[in-house]
Amino acid sequence: MSLLSAEGLVKEFGGLRAIDGLSVSIEDGELVGVMGPNGAGKSTFFNCVSGVISPDGGTVSLKGSDVTGDSPELLAHRGLVRTFQNTRELETMTVRDNVRLAAPDQPGERTLPALLRSGSMQEREGTVRERADELIEMFELDHLADEYSSNLSGGQRKLLELARTLMLDPDVLMLDEPFAGVNPTLTREIADHVRDLNEDGMTVVIIEHELETLTELVDRLIVLQQGQLLVEGDPEMVLKDERVIEAYLGGDAK
Amino acid sequence: MSVLDRLPSGRGDRALIAGLVCLLLGALFAVTPLRAQLPSALYVFVEVGILFVIYGILVLGLDLQYGHTGLVNFGHVVFFAVGAYATAMLTAQDTFAGIGLGYPWPLGLAVGVIAAAVLGAAVSLTSIRLRGDFLAIVTLATAEIFHSIFVNFENIFGGNVGILGVPRPIASLVSDSDTRLVATLLVLGGVTLVTLAVVTRLTDAPYGRVLRAIRADELVTRSVGKSTITYKTQAFVYGAALAGLAGGLFALYNGAVAPGFFTIQVTVTVWIGMLLGGAANHRAVLAGLSIIMGLRLISRFALNVTPVSSDVFASIRLIVVGLILVAVIRYRPAGIWGDPQELGVDQ
Repeated sequence: MSLLSAEGLVKEFGGLRAIDGLSVSIEDGELVGVMGPNGAGKSTFFNCVSGVISPDGGTVSLKGSDVTGDSPELLAHRGLVRTFQNTRELETMTVRDNVRLAAPDQPGERTLPALLRSGSMQEREGTVRERADELIEMFELDHLADEYSSNLSGGQRKLLELARTLMLDPDVLMLDEPFAGVNPTLTREIADHVRDLNEDGMTVVIIEHELETLTELVDRLIVLQQGQLLVEGDPEMVLKDERVIEAYLGGDAK
Repeated sequence: MSVLDRLPSGRGDRALIAGLVCLLLGALFAVTPLRAQLPSALYVFVEVGILFVIYGILVLGLDLQYGHTGLVNFGHVVFFAVGAYATAMLTAQDTFAGIGLGYPWPLGLAVGVIAAAVLGAAVSLTSIRLRGDFLAIVTLATAEIFHSIFVNFENIFGGNVGILGVPRPIASLVSDSDTRLVATLLVLGGVTLVTLAVVTRLTDAPYGRVLRAIRADELVTRSVGKSTITYKTQAFVYGAALAGLAGGLFALYNGAVAPGFFTIQVTVTVWIGMLLGGAANHRAVLAGLSIIMGLRLISRFALNVTPVSSDVFASIRLIVVGLILVAVIRYRPAGIWGDPQELGVDQ
């Protein structure tokens, strides 16, 4: 049984079928890349799987249970967390608070323990703060911890987003273009983090256009075109596949 | 670092203590033969002060909704009014028109809070999933609808006269007017300070972090596992309940309620106070409100020394308030004490 799978997924926007009967399955512990030309349906696929939008057809299952159309918050509780293509920071909050927010199981997020300043809230907040500081340090954001995240550079935002998602200790991490607009040094750094996480057992799915980094990083590549699965398999093989070359470069490139 | 260093800060505890002291002092004036004497020049200050602390509860509730959670409520007065009417109708005796059931005032006050909270929940259920501007329209419309209901259903709500004969618990205990005013200010001010302590605790806790995250980006907040609809509904209902509390206290202080007390002017005053002081900062919104209401006080004195009629003067006051608001939004869009980065505005 695969950890995460989509069966016959369909999503239409007006008359456009962004996802057209897509079936994909991802095994526990895999590091999978998703690529495809613009408009191939990569982000729509991510949005359907992570609950941001509901698919019009097909099913999504996570750890064997049907999660089709479940809300992002429910999926986060079940261990699936994602990042966004254009980094979405909570810009009016500090780096520290961005990371702390994501902590699960904080009783102080309910009214009564918050009003009473309950012991369980304070105890949990202690561990939350410790873990958040660890993650902030791991991503070398410690010198920016008290800055508002609106003051961060594009690359730093990617790091912060990663730190925030890790606060949830997810089973499946879905990264939507983690290297977009990031300088080569930082790209390598993020890639190293992703590899480490995967080696520690986290399943990771990445959408990316930066093919060189992606093919080096992932175990398997999935190529989408017009909302359908075009090719999948070993990264080296996939990139040599004529259908992929045609999809990316057009029919005359051969 | 010990666990103690990591706790959410204890801000608001001083407000709690000050609030309790005020309540105690107020009670002292009310139940003991202790008497206060006010120079007659101070009367108007105390009267405006009483209105200020009542509106203070309103602005704290509104700030929980807008400042912290980003919910735009343009009909805040309706929750104030519903709280006041519910309290008045439950407790009034020998009302001139409308319903007066003559129950004890603590019950009336509790029902006032609950009625406003229920209306808040109803508005949330229908509109909180909508985009922010729709909530603004729904709340504005709700306030207008209730205003017409209060005016037109005379047998129930007393029409333009409203509900008279509402018990005045403090006034019934204290016969001389000076002591009565001082005791009222202390008791209601105490309630406002306790409210300040309560909302500070709520927003300083991880609960407040979730609210601010919703204001910043709801989808991100959901994607890290927070059920944002629940939080938005709660924040809206809590704000409405606080407005209901303010309304109930107003009814029990004033001894009567009428549609004229609950015009859109109330919503405008608390909104301006909040924006002027700086949203998302409890003390700042109270300070902003004090500026707006202080202006009202000054203008009362100024009226006596200017040669214009009171109508003209009221218009001038509105112009002045408008100019202040324009200036604040132009030069300090986060408000006087607001944090521009926290509110996401360029300053």
